[in-house]
Amino acid sequence: MTPRFLILALLAATSAGLTGCGKKSAVAAPDPLRNAYDSEVDWNDPQRVIPLGYEAAQGKRVFYQYCVWCHADSTPAGPSNRSNLNPQPPLLNDGTVLNSESDDSLQNMIALGGSAVGKSAMMPAYGKTLSQEDVRSVIAYARAIAVPPYQPPAQPAAKNTVR
Amino acid sequence: MPAEDMGKVSRRLRLWFAISSVIFVVVLAVSPGKDLRREWKRYKRDYVRFAQTRPDTKRLLADFHPDIDQIWIPDMGVVDRCTTCHQGITQPSLAGAAVPQPFRAHPSIPHRVQEWGCVVCHRGQGPATEVAEAHETTLAWEQPILPIHFIQGTCGSCHRNDLAQTPQLNRGRQLSEELNCAGCHRLQGIDRPVMLGPDLTSVGEKVSREWIYKWLKEPRTIVDAEGNVTVNGVETEEEPRMPKFSLSEPELRALSAYLSMQRVKPLQSVKFDPRVVAAWSKKPDLVDQGELRFRQMFCSTCHALAVTRAGETKLVGGDIGPELTKVGSKVKPEWLAAWLRDPQAYLAHSKMPRYGWSDEDLFKVTQYIAAKLTDSDLLSDVPKLGTPTDDEIKLGRRLFLEKGCAGCHLIEGMGSQKDFGPDLSGLGGKNVSQLEFGTSKIPRNLISYIQAKITDPLSVNPAARMPQYHLTPGDLDAVTTALLAMTGTSAKSGMEKLIVPKHQPEFHAVGEFGKIYERYKCYVCHEFNGFGGTLAPDLSYEGSRANRQWLIQFLKNPQTLRPTLVLRMPQFNMSDREAGVIADYFGMVLQYPEVNTSAVERSEFTPQMAALGKELYEVKYQCQACHTVDATGGYVGPSLSDAGNWLTPAWIEAWLRDPQALVPGTIEPRRAFTDSEVKALTAYLLTLRGVAARGAAGSGAGAGGQK
Repeated sequence: MTPRFLILALLAATSAGLTGCGKKSAVAAPDPLRNAYDSEVDWNDPQRVIPLGYEAAQGKRVFYQYCVWCHADSTPAGPSNRSNLNPQPPLLNDGTVLNSESDDSLQNMIALGGSAVGKSAMMPAYGKTLSQEDVRSVIAYARAIAVPPYQPPAQPAAKNTVR
Repeated sequence: MPAEDMGKVSRRLRLWFAISSVIFVVVLAVSPGKDLRREWKRYKRDYVRFAQTRPDTKRLLADFHPDIDQIWIPDMGVVDRCTTCHQGITQPSLAGAAVPQPFRAHPSIPHRVQEWGCVVCHRGQGPATEVAEAHETTLAWEQPILPIHFIQGTCGSCHRNDLAQTPQLNRGRQLSEELNCAGCHRLQGIDRPVMLGPDLTSVGEKVSREWIYKWLKEPRTIVDAEGNVTVNGVETEEEPRMPKFSLSEPELRALSAYLSMQRVKPLQSVKFDPRVVAAWSKKPDLVDQGELRFRQMFCSTCHALAVTRAGETKLVGGDIGPELTKVGSKVKPEWLAAWLRDPQAYLAHSKMPRYGWSDEDLFKVTQYIAAKLTDSDLLSDVPKLGTPTDDEIKLGRRLFLEKGCAGCHLIEGMGSQKDFGPDLSGLGGKNVSQLEFGTSKIPRNLISYIQAKITDPLSVNPAARMPQYHLTPGDLDAVTTALLAMTGTSAKSGMEKLIVPKHQPEFHAVGEFGKIYERYKCYVCHEFNGFGGTLAPDLSYEGSRANRQWLIQFLKNPQTLRPTLVLRMPQFNMSDREAGVIADYFGMVLQYPEVNTSAVERSEFTPQMAALGKELYEVKYQCQACHTVDATGGYVGPSLSDAGNWLTPAWIEAWLRDPQALVPGTIEPRRAFTDSEVKALTAYLLTLRGVAARGAAGSGAGAGGQK
């Protein structure tokens, strides 16, 4: 009797070993916000929460420190300076204005200031204050919250941008 | 046993032997086959195939090995094989959501993946070679990967200081401090402060037994099940500090009896000048005048009040001190006057400044508070309690200890219950098998456990003594993140070397200024060399920035430089001598080493330079986008209308050259000014000397500068 059990046990172990190879991990469908570093409420739709990756999350932080005062309608300290300015600076989530600008052109606008790219001199140059990474992260944040949503350029163009 | 039988048995045995040998050979043959089909090998092959579809195949496959890849960090005891499958993790061309996992590149972060591997930040099982074992909790492997939403927790295991990149962790640490978690629990990186909840040694002098009953039954701050916080019925963003304990009627009676008997320090009643009382009591506008004074002194910078505007009631004001909407129905009038005159006499650790009150002002303001900041219904549902009986007091004392109240509150003759709750300094590193879930139905992982413990402690442990905290979902996640960072002391000595300690600066002033600094609690709002509050400007280099005369005037009558701010510097009613001592101290001690105030003379700035500066200010650089001069300009930076009186020329020059060097993180961008532009702009700013002096614009040299 005992040896028969032995064989059965061996067979069972073998088959278990063989089937074990095909085992698939059961990863539940991830909640986009649980897998996001940070999030931001859509400025135009308070019901919609936009997940932000690491880079865009850093951009959010830089934005709320340096840019929010003129590029949003409300600020952490109350009223915004935006309505005070002529020409009025675009809201950072305004896709109708920003989506058509390439990453490089936005980078120049922030780093060199408005007057260097033929826009209002009221936009100061931040290239000596913010690091290149900071500026890129703000652009990533702007892309993430853009309304209408930002569509990145097709593959060949993406290869040219140095990351 | 007969011989022929033996032969029979051995034949059978031989048969069994033959069968088992065949099975053995089969098994031996299967194992290399099985090895070929290992999960990670599949990902290796897939990566090669994937790389061949990309334009930069050669670069993607430059470091390719068909074996297990491993990053080993002996100091931390980390073996990390994640890059076996996540092969594109350091390939810049594989960034972006379009690249399928597990080959996508990691976003750029301050740590290099090649040096640190993955599990140091993401957790999970580094040595595992199967997806499930690497990522999730299995029987043998207990540390699952942290959801990205909580990943700042692992930053905090080494970075005990606050990092700009980890707002959620910083918020969680701040909340753990504000919610007084350290009152009952030992936490990693959060020390027990001197004062947690209010000192109750003389609370019987301050409030009635009825009020204590009401407060214990229903604290002023109420949070409903959805996490909406109301303070005195008005919705707010503020966090409740006193949690809700569910107490029975006899418990409420006993605790209120015990606490109302706490009168260690008898009240020193304020003796008002009878002439002041006689003169003011008759005035019909006494309460209105008191309110006016209350507003003029900017009490609202620290204290909030419910204000109804256009039918909407909102709490308006700061949160450094308690909200005061109904304080007139809370405290006894004689206590209020004594408190306002000298807060530290009642509560030595109070942050409230000791104002220089005139009898008249103090009388008016106390009358206003007692008349207007009240609610006649506040105590209407409290039963008649009467004089406390000895039994009630005795039971109250026992309950005070049983509930762990002395974790946060001070009572005469009672030791602190600082380790009343469990030690949480290693909670963030616990394995699932170390956690007690009880009969609750929550998912078996550390994050669910922590969150259940905070929001509904009884669900995991019916005998829990912990009160219930209702936090907003964001704050709950922040506190969870902060707790995940508390992984205890590592057994690996190398790990300790990597820890970046929390920076805990202190600034103690001595001498005459030290007394004033303590009296007016300057550090509650202002920062001095990294120590103090962040509500108001950093004063570490104020002596290099502001002219002495301007400082004295400002201290005597603070005017805001930022017209849109609601919270402003209170009026302390300082004497001339006090203002002079402060200005002298600033001028001597609070100096920026690179700004030499005596090296730049006002006389070197000519009207021609100022005219050029005005042109630069208005046309080339358009500073008016952010700064106002008189009534025109933006509200981002401070008003410059009085810059010539306010700022020293040396500071203006240094500021224009590199603002972040003087005030790290300031919004003012650093520009590429030439030397002559710096001089011209300085010359122009020095001509801005208040509205009255505008006629003299361009005169340049002035007599206002000190030193």
